[in-house]
Amino acid sequence: MSRFITVAHRRLLDRLWPWLCAASVALSLLMLTALLTLLLVRGLGHFWPASLEEITLRSGDVVAGQAIRETPLPQKIGNERLYFTGNRDIDGASWRWVDVDNIIARTTPADLIRLERAPWGDFIGRLESLEADGQRMMGQAAWDYLAAALALPADQRPTGQLLLTTADGQALSQPLSTTSRALAPNAMSWGQKTRLWGSSVWQFLSEGPRAANTSGGVWPAIFGTVLMVILMSVIVTPFGVLAAIYLNEIAHQNRLTRLVRIGVRNLAGVPSIVYGVFGLGVFVYGIGGTLDTWFFSATLPSPTFGTGGLLWASLTLALLTLPVVIVATEEGLARIPDAQREGAMALGATRLEMLTRVVLPMTVPAMLTGVILAVARAAGEVAPLMLVGVAKLAPQMPVDGEFPYLHLERKFMHLGYHLFDTAFHGEDVQAAMPLVYATALLLVLIVLVLNLTAIFLRHYFRRQRGNEC
Amino acid sequence: MLAILAIGVFLFWETLPLLARDETLAFAKLSPLAWGTLKAALAAMLFALPIALGAAMYSALFMSARLRSRIKPALEMMEAIPGVVVGFIAGLVLAPWVERNLASTLVLLVWLPLSAGLAGVLWHLLAARWRQQMPLSWAGLWLLPWLACMVLLALWLTPHMEELFLGGDLRRLLEQHWGLDYATRNALIVGIAMGFAVIPSIYALAEDALADVPTALMEGAQALGASRWQALWRVALPAAGPGIFSAVMIGAGRAVGETMIVLMASGNTALFSASPFEGMRSMAAAIAIELPEASPDGLTYHYLILAALVLFIFTFLVNTLAEMVRLRMRRRYHKAGHR
Repeated sequence: MSRFITVAHRRLLDRLWPWLCAASVALSLLMLTALLTLLLVRGLGHFWPASLEEITLRSGDVVAGQAIRETPLPQKIGNERLYFTGNRDIDGASWRWVDVDNIIARTTPADLIRLERAPWGDFIGRLESLEADGQRMMGQAAWDYLAAALALPADQRPTGQLLLTTADGQALSQPLSTTSRALAPNAMSWGQKTRLWGSSVWQFLSEGPRAANTSGGVWPAIFGTVLMVILMSVIVTPFGVLAAIYLNEIAHQNRLTRLVRIGVRNLAGVPSIVYGVFGLGVFVYGIGGTLDTWFFSATLPSPTFGTGGLLWASLTLALLTLPVVIVATEEGLARIPDAQREGAMALGATRLEMLTRVVLPMTVPAMLTGVILAVARAAGEVAPLMLVGVAKLAPQMPVDGEFPYLHLERKFMHLGYHLFDTAFHGEDVQAAMPLVYATALLLVLIVLVLNLTAIFLRHYFRRQRGNEC
Repeated sequence: MLAILAIGVFLFWETLPLLARDETLAFAKLSPLAWGTLKAALAAMLFALPIALGAAMYSALFMSARLRSRIKPALEMMEAIPGVVVGFIAGLVLAPWVERNLASTLVLLVWLPLSAGLAGVLWHLLAARWRQQMPLSWAGLWLLPWLACMVLLALWLTPHMEELFLGGDLRRLLEQHWGLDYATRNALIVGIAMGFAVIPSIYALAEDALADVPTALMEGAQALGASRWQALWRVALPAAGPGIFSAVMIGAGRAVGETMIVLMASGNTALFSASPFEGMRSMAAAIAIELPEASPDGLTYHYLILAALVLFIFTFLVNTLAEMVRLRMRRRYHKAGHR
């Protein structure tokens, strides 16, 4: 082709192409930072108590709510703004689009409050009075009483009745027992908001989901993920390490080991969903079904082990992450200088002693790296879990006080699946979005921190080895 | 140890008897899925290949060693981001945004390479003193703000241009003039999202392959009067060719098997259509959706298992090929380069 390219063209190309290449590096970095920033801002921003606005429309309506975002109107000039107005029991919807041009007045009154309630979701409006212990409190006294009552643990709270009004004047009576939190964000100072932000983040991490996964926390999902990952590493570590030792130390380096090595690399490239199918077919229906007919035939029409569960999920993921551990351990083994092995043998050690006393202690960091990488991969993997035992909302935790304490046959919740489910199968996706962002952020953080640890470990290990040689 | 081999054999054995059943029906059901899979993978590769290979060439041949030791882990991080998260961002954030700003997105795809070239031209026009401050070997980093500014500029200008030249909405125009439907979650989105996921793996392997080319080869070519472009195009690329090929194959294997991104970012409609603005359903996504509800002896179960087998065989072949090519190349350079 170059015959047709003139010298001038070639010089131009010569100068331009490095820039295109450099730009592609920059572009990848840009996408990565954009993604992480988006997650960080949306994920953490959700917990910041946003101020509530009261707007008066041209039609005379008064709406109270939290401004979410603005988009340009199709076809027309101007913007419309989305408000979260809560009060699903009164208005029938908790979101409202408002044409910005129609807004006459926009204020943030200090007495607007936001209540988190068990049925119907959030309430936004004003607290008129509170009836408790046979007396009726108004205004500030009512608010103070409410704040004090909600600070108590749920079972010690007094019974009472809240009298509320919405921004457009409708009255509502709400039992105190159904509310879980009350906020007056417009009246709060920065310090209070920061403290509240901290406690919201903590709530998110430590509580179970509420209102069909659209609010509350992700604690069961975290717990399920961690438990499954621990089980998985318990299974995968010995297998992976033994396989690597066999491949690198015991087997003769010939055509067969090379084939096996290619096979292992290959397994790493097999799509995760295929592992899921394998897990479902072999573990769940095959082994699980057989176990059921042998030991749990009393309850048979409803399966015990013959359905997805914790054990099968961890087994499947162990299979999935096996190549990661093998490759990392082998890399570590290959990096140990032969002089060490020969030295040990020369001093009269048997082969086994050489392996366990000299070689293995030196490979521990590499194994650790492999296991961490495996854990990171397993924590982010969702597709196979959908087939072998993850649940949208697990009724029971897999660990409890009942014998045998750890219930391997139960379904569990997983962060990644929780994210997928709330984002795509929820009733009110709009309301769940902030939580989905927060979950995604948490998942990414876990995986990234694990990966960073592995990278640093590997780096450190390499440098240490380098000094010794 | 034998366990590893057993897995491969077992999976094969597990799915083999199912092949005997009703092949014609399975074929009819699978072909739209196969098409969807190919379309998604193709879209992803179209997006990922130029970026990944460009990045690999740049970092293997130009980047300063210090920057390289920082950037490689950063791109490894990119690979570690779970597919669910990428899929969620693509399906619920990117897709609606692109739907609203279709013209801007398309303009961006063209504008970004142009602006990189522009940066090069400007750089050559700059005074030498300034050029010292911003060497090419760090360009990957200081091009970041430049590209970000260009993106913002394009986003700001395009709606006006759209108004001026196309008289309003590009989406309506597409529908009226070419009869193209626009689905919110489409091949374009899947391509971008899955491209994002595939870039790091292609990059890492291609970069290794390029870095493995003995430096003597490049230096020799340049000493004989070749420009850097010629040295790269005529010497380094052919030498690293097999390695780059294996990188691309492995990337393709990943794109074919990726489940969550396709599941979340495509409309999951099993369609035969070549339009980049329509959705598709891939085999992996079909398995993930339908298998939990399929009864273990039903027809659906069997054809889904068949789909899994097809996926498995495909990726297995691709990976084996790539791995063999890679190993052969490595051995060759250990002989030739002898460093």
